[in-house]
Amino acid sequence: MTTRLTPLVLSVVTIGAWGLVLGVLSGRAELAVVVLPLLLGLVRVRSARAAIGWSLGRTLSATRLFEGERVAVTVTISAREPVPLLELFEPLPPGLKLVSGRNRGLFTLARDQRLEWRYEVECVRRGLPSFGPVQARLWDRSGLTAGETTMPLPGGLRVYPRPLRLRRLPSPRRMQAFVGNYVAPRVGEGLEPGDIRMFAAGDRVRHVNWRASLRFRQLFVTRYHQERNADVVLMLDTLATAGTPPATTLDASIRAAAALATGYLARKDRVGLIEYCGPFRWVRPSSGRAHHERLLEALLRADVMFSYVTQEVALVPRRILPPQALVIAISALLDPRFDKAIVDLVARGFDLVVLSPSPIPLVRRAMRSSVQTDLACRLWALERRTRTDGLQRLGITIVDWDSDQPLEAALSGLAAARRRVLLR
Amino acid sequence: MRRIAAVLTLLLVSYPFLIASSAVVVALAAAALLVCLLGILTATPALVVGIVLALAEYAVALWIGGGPPRLAGAVFLGVVLRLLVETADLGRRAHGAALGPGVVGAQLRAWGSTAALASTTALGTAAVCGVASTAVRLPWAPAVAAAGGAVALVGIVLALTAGRIISRD
Repeated sequence: MTTRLTPLVLSVVTIGAWGLVLGVLSGRAELAVVVLPLLLGLVRVRSARAAIGWSLGRTLSATRLFEGERVAVTVTISAREPVPLLELFEPLPPGLKLVSGRNRGLFTLARDQRLEWRYEVECVRRGLPSFGPVQARLWDRSGLTAGETTMPLPGGLRVYPRPLRLRRLPSPRRMQAFVGNYVAPRVGEGLEPGDIRMFAAGDRVRHVNWRASLRFRQLFVTRYHQERNADVVLMLDTLATAGTPPATTLDASIRAAAALATGYLARKDRVGLIEYCGPFRWVRPSSGRAHHERLLEALLRADVMFSYVTQEVALVPRRILPPQALVIAISALLDPRFDKAIVDLVARGFDLVVLSPSPIPLVRRAMRSSVQTDLACRLWALERRTRTDGLQRLGITIVDWDSDQPLEAALSGLAAARRRVLLR
Repeated sequence: MRRIAAVLTLLLVSYPFLIASSAVVVALAAAALLVCLLGILTATPALVVGIVLALAEYAVALWIGGGPPRLAGAVFLGVVLRLLVETADLGRRAHGAALGPGVVGAQLRAWGSTAALASTTALGTAAVCGVASTAVRLPWAPAVAAAGGAVALVGIVLALTAGRIISRD
């Protein structure tokens, strides 16, 4: 670390020169004496190479968090030799907000002293923020010289999307062969009683319906609905986004995707993820806790990637997009390429629901309120409605979601909307 | 830190009243006080302008007051000036920063020793210069002017060539 002169030296020299000039002009020795203590401070000033006699360490209270949670950062400073004045600065990465303490500090340490500096940040946006190196500046007592260095310290965070509450989820129309929580129309082994039929050879005795058998003086057996799981594929539109972080349509979409993935996986369904950013990026449908982690990790990295490439849905392998799957497309419907993709999905017979976080309130909030803004937003709303009506006429169920409102409220009208589409 | 700097500013601008308290001195004192306080709150260059005004006020007071050289007062004012520059600078750096334990105490001790050392050295230098001036009989003003010019030039060249670091506000 090389210590160098600070701008204060220039200020001192200016004042000194001015004092001397005044002394000459007025012919008074006092003016020269006044600036003498100031100029004497310059005697010891020099640039020099100095060894770093202190070390830093950083600990985080947690490295895996959800949006809105806080993390305490503790920086430990250990001095091997006396440190006159050490200034430390930790620039906060985007997505983190200081909530208590300061991310810049001044410290004085004696030989072999150890200090802890603590502050707290809030994770406002999902992602992989990293604190990066600590910027350090070692000042002398007078502030006339300082040395700068940066110290790389580990400080990576994983901030997962904020979990949204969802008690009811869109029900898939088609089931898979594996055991799950849905009552399938097909009868077989299960818990939910289906219908009653005459006893046939091979039927189990425990399925005999004794009340019906006694009434009709013949053996009847109860048949049960099968309980099956479903494949759910979340298709995330990362072609475009609107709003200002952390309140963008993409952020809202990702929170919704995380909530839906969590909800469906809790119901033992297999959940897959397709990120459509021109080309496709995907996570194969599966179930279980490890898969939940996998999905959240994929959502953590999801971001808008500008691309001229437009891949066809037909290119997605069947193992990624199973034909019987319920596809939940989450899109603000800003890019026509995504419209084309969902029309393609419907044309291929997929059970499709579009959850559309509305960009209009988010953009409106980011802009200054004016007559022009209001008018533009109203026109945009009309244009958006025309587009969604056009898609609904093609048999696509679209749920418009104002991300300020609970997702559950937006999904509550889904069943009726799907029935209406079916009736058409 | 800023409070200490404000007190030192008050001392700096009010000391010339003890020598002469004319309207010009009062006006310069008011201007110097305002600009110095602004400099303490915002940036060092503004403080420098304020100190320049304060020194002008002191020069005017000395010129109006006349009389023999007041070297003890000048040394006192010099120490105040140096402490003002250092406290204001540290106050600006410490603003918005967490202060570790012992920072203020250690700094106050350092300033105390600086003040003692600077005043002793200044008094000694003034005394040596006084003796030398009577012995050598050098014309006073041209010698100071030459020394002042040399110090200022060397200092400016030093400051500009030594690679200053960028200060963070």
